Amino acid sequence: MQKHLLTMRVNGEQVELAVRPNATLLDVLREDLELTGVKEGCSEGACGACAVLMNNEPIRSCLTLALEANGAEILTIEGLATGGRLHPLQEAFVEQGAVQCGFCTPGMILSSKALLDRNPQPNDEDIKTALAGSFCRCTGYAKILEAVRAARDGDVGNEGS
Amino acid sequence: MPDDDYKLIGKSVPRIDARAKVTGEALFTADLKFPRMLVAKVLRSPHAHARILNVDTSRAEKLRGVHAVVTGKDTAGEKWGVFRYTRDQQLLCVDKARYLGDEVAAVAAVDEETAEEALKLIFVDYEPLPAVFDFWSAVAPDAPRIHDEYPRNINVEVKIEVGLVDEAFRNCRLVREDTFLAEEDSYFMSEPYAVVANCHADGSVEIWMPNASPHTKAKALSNALRLPLSQVNVRKITIGGAFGGRSDVFPAEFICSLLSIKTQRPVKLVYTREENTIATRMGHAMLTTHKTGVDKNGKVLARESICWLDGGAYSSTGPIATSVPFLCHEQAYNVPNVRFYGYRIYTNKPVRGMIRIHGRSFACGVDTQLDMIGEELGIDPVTMRLVNARRPGETTPTGSHVASCGLVECIEQTAEQSNFLAKFKKSVPNRGIGMGVNSVQTGFPLGIRGGSQAFIKFHEDGGATVISGVVDNGQGNDNMLVQIAAEELGLPMSEIRLISADTESTPTDAGSYSMISTFGGGNAVKRAAEDARAQLFEVASEMLEADPEDLVARDRKIFVRGAPDAGVPLPKVVRQALLLGRPIMGRGAFNPDVDQRREWIGNPSGQLSQAFSFGATVAEVEVDPETGQVKALDVTCAQDCGFALNPLIVEGQFEGSVAMGGQGGMLAEEHRWHNGHCLNPTMLEYKIPTIKEMPRIKPIIVETIDPGGPYGAKEAGMSVAMSSAQAYCCAVGHALGIYFNHYPLTPERIRDAIERKQESKGIKTAWDIEPARIIPPEPKS
Ligand code: FES
Ligand code: FES
Repeated sequence: MQKHLLTMRVNGEQVELAVRPNATLLDVLREDLELTGVKEGCSEGACGACAVLMNNEPIRSCLTLALEANGAEILTIEGLATGGRLHPLQEAFVEQGAVQCGFCTPGMILSSKALLDRNPQPNDEDIKTALAGSFCRCTGYAKILEAVRAARDGDVGNEGS
Repeated sequence: MPDDDYKLIGKSVPRIDARAKVTGEALFTADLKFPRMLVAKVLRSPHAHARILNVDTSRAEKLRGVHAVVTGKDTAGEKWGVFRYTRDQQLLCVDKARYLGDEVAAVAAVDEETAEEALKLIFVDYEPLPAVFDFWSAVAPDAPRIHDEYPRNINVEVKIEVGLVDEAFRNCRLVREDTFLAEEDSYFMSEPYAVVANCHADGSVEIWMPNASPHTKAKALSNALRLPLSQVNVRKITIGGAFGGRSDVFPAEFICSLLSIKTQRPVKLVYTREENTIATRMGHAMLTTHKTGVDKNGKVLARESICWLDGGAYSSTGPIATSVPFLCHEQAYNVPNVRFYGYRIYTNKPVRGMIRIHGRSFACGVDTQLDMIGEELGIDPVTMRLVNARRPGETTPTGSHVASCGLVECIEQTAEQSNFLAKFKKSVPNRGIGMGVNSVQTGFPLGIRGGSQAFIKFHEDGGATVISGVVDNGQGNDNMLVQIAAEELGLPMSEIRLISADTESTPTDAGSYSMISTFGGGNAVKRAAEDARAQLFEVASEMLEADPEDLVARDRKIFVRGAPDAGVPLPKVVRQALLLGRPIMGRGAFNPDVDQRREWIGNPSGQLSQAFSFGATVAEVEVDPETGQVKALDVTCAQDCGFALNPLIVEGQFEGSVAMGGQGGMLAEEHRWHNGHCLNPTMLEYKIPTIKEMPRIKPIIVETIDPGGPYGAKEAGMSVAMSSAQAYCCAVGHALGIYFNHYPLTPERIRDAIERKQESKGIKTAWDIEPARIIPPEPKS
């Protein structure tokens, strides 16, 4: 199969690579760019584990062709912390106990980031709507909701201990 | 010691593994990559039951990019089974396929596309055989046999009888018999199953896969591959949830290892979501008939329970799975006279294991029936449960002493905080409230693998490394071990490293099934830390010229109690110990005090588990009778977890339990079938709860300080998962004035029950379901 050139910015870095036209963005991020923080939970758009931000919007990378990302700005979980400092959402997930097995965590955090960027003061319903497409089998979502609230309120950095 | 004396234990400290998980750094099995790594794919039987006449792999082998093809011929002929007497599964089918999806062959190729292409070039001659898809047809005298040695497809039969059951029934004021049915459910842990195997020139194999016990996996693989145990090294890896579904051994790890040995290259096998559902484990369908007799106060005097479990094609944890629903309830409620008949029945369906709410029909049946009896006698649900609740110091019918038990507190606190009685009595149309009660074990008699051991070594700067066989499936076991070691050694958690769940370097552990990790592994690490601390105190006592008995380790210092300022820094003690040739090496082991003579089928009597957790959950729901939709409003859940080592984590376990046990487990989760074909193996059709549906959850931690648990801890969350299912069930029933007996309570079932209700009168279950009966033994031929 003929490969096509794909140019995009991933986590702030310009990348250029040849991809098959049927390759998903998920495959390219995980396999070619080795960004394994992008998780594959279902491969059919149901679980949200593969969510990344494309031009600041959450998308399911398993349902997105890599070539659709041409010219786009992609953010994966690996690009969220800056200079070793966690993003407030990451801090909040750690502090509020919103992480158990952690498989859903990258998708949850990125979807939450898109929400807070768009709407810095979401109410509970807004948060639930933004995360309705992301499955978590471990937490029952209670602490995830608390983490997003904490990040919204700037209530982070209290890790203590 | 009162809680205040602890620096870390009992505190909501963030988990040590959370940072790697929020940055994407944590590696799960499918994330691993090695030079020259091949990709594996499995060919599965398209028939639910078929004889395999021939497998022709020649064309597949010739395909460019294919490095190996394996079939049943490549196995050493070892069958897998959790028990010696349940070894019934070839890890690659040899003569027969017994469910649609059974592993027939596998390939290793340079990439996924080539591997898939190669599967199409494997030609299998099948002779399709008649199949059975439910327990009724499977036990029919003329049913096809799935395993030749098992007449009527009865895989496991457990019989328990304690007390004078028939006599007690005769003395009862009221006796009811009702039947409850639950369909199959699934784990849907968020990480699909995956295995990486890497064979080395010295003949050893390294294997990574999500697991609930690396040592169990390694032992099974060593048998199947005929390799010494020391050559089979199961490595630690981040695991995306288990919920009981990673406890067993699967063909995947065997196949992947075999392919790696054959090719002498690393091989990766990643399951699709569908394969994860049908080819690892799913929950049993289960039919339960409870006959329960009570006195005039609602005290249960006798119960006979007959259960049929649809086990699918192979035994898996069969004897345990058959017994546990009964055992949980002999713990939760004090019933002096009991009789239990449990049958696990083979069908031509995927293999079933234990799931977080294993035994839905049994558990929901118990509490639904208590509510029915309560209505007949005019006794409210809270009283019905309190009258029968287990108390500390009692002994269960099969002989387990219950050292600690806070069930009464759980019932009282959930009732009070939810204002149960007022809401129960005041009838608001389509609103309901219900309570569930349950109890689980912390550990089983597991023979030589029932205990846990740990080591602790020190670094020159005073930091330490804990070495333990405990595995973390996502529940926070790693953190638990480090939190305990840090408490005992007076170190910050950040200065303790953990090596765990690696069979080459870490000692034996019971595995994270049976809710033993905290009780077993936690105790072992605590003892190793105490041992290390005693060695430190020996050295420090010389340095401080004090009695070791008077010393305290805290904040990286060792000092005489009450004089922290005059202490010696811990690194100095560690270095002094090295200098003296007495390096600090902590050792600890813990074997739970259980009766090792107890056996699931042969001798179901004796101490089952050293400790038991107890839980009560209250659910409040609103039902739309037009659509059958249920909205859960509030859930109040309490569990006696002994002692909450980390309340934040314990609460998280409770909340997750409500989601899986109640919200999903009782309202939505079931598999649908057509001739052995699972119609909803993926997340698109199988409905697991989202954040949108979740109710407000109020977790209540009840502490009883178990005398055997580390700091008094038992386990966190399982009793809530189970009791949530029962609470939701009773709440929906209360909302509609219906006693539900077929689960889960999907909108269709609720609509159907509402329609039937208009025709029937009296205190009855919604559906007349053919009861589970005692299956007479087959005359020996
Ligand atoms: S993997 Fe993309 S939504 Fe599940
Ligand atoms: S933390 Fe395990 S799926 Fe969300």
